[in-house]
Amino acid sequence: MNPFITPVMLGQVIISGLLAGSLYAMVALGLGLIFGVMRVLNIAHGPLLMLGAYVTFWLFSTVGLNPYLSLLVSMPLLYLLGMLLQRFLVRRVVDAPELSSLLLTFGVSIALVNVAQLAFTSDLRAVEYLTGSFVLGPFAFSKSRVIACAIAIAITVSAFLFLQKTRLGKAIRAVSQSREVAQVCGINVGRIHMIAFGLASALAAAGGSLVAVMVAIQPEMGQVYTFKSFLVIVLGGAGNYPGALLGGLLLGLIEQVSSLFLTTQVNEAVAYILLVLVLLVRPTGLLGGRAS
Amino acid sequence: MTIKPWRLPATLAVAAVLCGALPALAQTPIKIGASLSLTGTYAKLGSYQKEGYELCAEDLNKKGGLLGRKVEFAVYDDQSTPATGVRLYEKLITEDKVDAVMGPYSSPITEAVANVTEKYKKVMVSPLAATTSIFKKGRKYIFMVISPAEVYLEGLIDTAAKRGLKTVAIINEDTLFTKSAAIGTAELARKQGMQVVFQEAYPKGHTDFSALLTKIKAVNPDVIAAATYFDDAVAITRQMKELNVNPKMLGVTVGGDLPEFYDLLKQNAEYIYGATQWEGALPYPGQREFLEGYKRKFNREPVYHSASGYAGCLIYAEGVKRAGTLDADKVREQLLKLEIKTAFGEYKVDQDGFQTAHKMVILQWQDGKKVTVWPDELASGKARFPTPAWNQR
Repeated sequence: MNPFITPVMLGQVIISGLLAGSLYAMVALGLGLIFGVMRVLNIAHGPLLMLGAYVTFWLFSTVGLNPYLSLLVSMPLLYLLGMLLQRFLVRRVVDAPELSSLLLTFGVSIALVNVAQLAFTSDLRAVEYLTGSFVLGPFAFSKSRVIACAIAIAITVSAFLFLQKTRLGKAIRAVSQSREVAQVCGINVGRIHMIAFGLASALAAAGGSLVAVMVAIQPEMGQVYTFKSFLVIVLGGAGNYPGALLGGLLLGLIEQVSSLFLTTQVNEAVAYILLVLVLLVRPTGLLGGRAS
Repeated sequence: MTIKPWRLPATLAVAAVLCGALPALAQTPIKIGASLSLTGTYAKLGSYQKEGYELCAEDLNKKGGLLGRKVEFAVYDDQSTPATGVRLYEKLITEDKVDAVMGPYSSPITEAVANVTEKYKKVMVSPLAATTSIFKKGRKYIFMVISPAEVYLEGLIDTAAKRGLKTVAIINEDTLFTKSAAIGTAELARKQGMQVVFQEAYPKGHTDFSALLTKIKAVNPDVIAAATYFDDAVAITRQMKELNVNPKMLGVTVGGDLPEFYDLLKQNAEYIYGATQWEGALPYPGQREFLEGYKRKFNREPVYHSASGYAGCLIYAEGVKRAGTLDADKVREQLLKLEIKTAFGEYKVDQDGFQTAHKMVILQWQDGKKVTVWPDELASGKARFPTPAWNQR
């Protein structure tokens, strides 16, 4: 059943879409980074986000740390965990056929979720910090989502600048363009892989810390972000970093706007239909893949 | 030594008195079989029901048992799967030759095992099956205890109509129970002369309700009725605040009755209406004994699954007592006629064994506490009405 659509409704869903999309973009950038640098599709990306959310929850509920400040803890922690995962597990499958890396990260994903279930139980948790919205005329801007959006944009932009301007960032891009040439030029590829995986995990952690304030936290909250990130990098072009930003915003918008016209159930399929279409028509993504 | 003539009759008399007083010891116990979900997805809820059964058997035995015999439960674990439940009821009836059976936990498992109990003509009181269709398939020996999904929000709609509210938006998770609840709510609303201005289902596991709520906001209903479990009830509440959606009443089916609902939402749970089958605070006969007995035996507060299991078992026992036998057809006759109030509330069924008397209660979160606001005769306080806009709290 659909009420007729007014400009206000359209405006509201565009706002919701962009707010959600900026988060998708940041989280997907991590997934894209790992894929770009080592051709590994990290299924455990969502569960890493879940761990970030739990870091925020525990810091908030035990010592009362401001959830936004907890990014300063969750990101370095997950950076370390990401490096360790890469060093001891993922490294072994970097050059293996893609199925091996899929299976490995799938296994890691299941393990992380189950460890979280054991350690934290599957009870829902929430960080009841900032609720409600800024109301501007007929539009509501959710406070937590606006702040999350701002932080996500800041982090995404810094990540871009880092990749564009710094020596290390350039090395990362070099490895993602051609590992052999990078190696010949004296870049320590193993080290770059670890750093890239760490950075990607930190991006997931940032996503987790930010959504912790918006949705209920539980061990299985992460998987959906793996799928969304996957969609985003396919939309934007796998390995194309600015593409992730475009893909994220686009996914947020499409999800929200289409649900005005469709029922919620049908709408779940829209993003995936889009995925199939993009893969059929433009398999390199909207901006073309691997152009860094 | 010679026996004094007066001693023999005296001994016999004493023996007769003893036999009369302790018949439960003299005969074999009545064995009641059931499968319950002790592992798997329903593990927690299934074990609550088991506690209800155990407490009921204990209470019955304290009062001399049933038909002068002790009552014993034989419970197996169906691992939360209907197929295992079917196998276990076969085994209970044909191999263990139990004297009677009681229902398992949940609608899907009850639906499956009812075929077995019907085949062997065993009366089965099913204290935790709320799906109407189970009881409307021409089955003869199955009896319902809790209220069906369709009337979960009856109190919300009733209160809204009495306050003169006109429009309602109904949303539900797209699964068996919540779907029935939404359909039932829509029907009740129409009967009360209210207009259902919006109705939509969302898939299980849905977390982002912003588009759905934007649509609801556009039609600006007086009441939002959400047929939810738990996570979705929490998410919908939070996102209503984010999108500044302000109905005069918000009611949810499952989730709103749990203490965790307030733990998660804190003051944002205020004014929200929840629905429940049972509360410990309700003034039902036998309630105090049940609460005290439960706390003594299990060392915590009971939830409604235990209360319903306990009451279901007592209802079956009452049927047997009135029939004076375990014969299924005679017990069935009594259970169809029976009208009784237990610690779980009222019991009365129609000719299909479908529950018609048990009342859902509607509660509202007020200052961090659940206050029963409907029905009037059970209410412990007045509803805070209307719900103020989010920015005026």
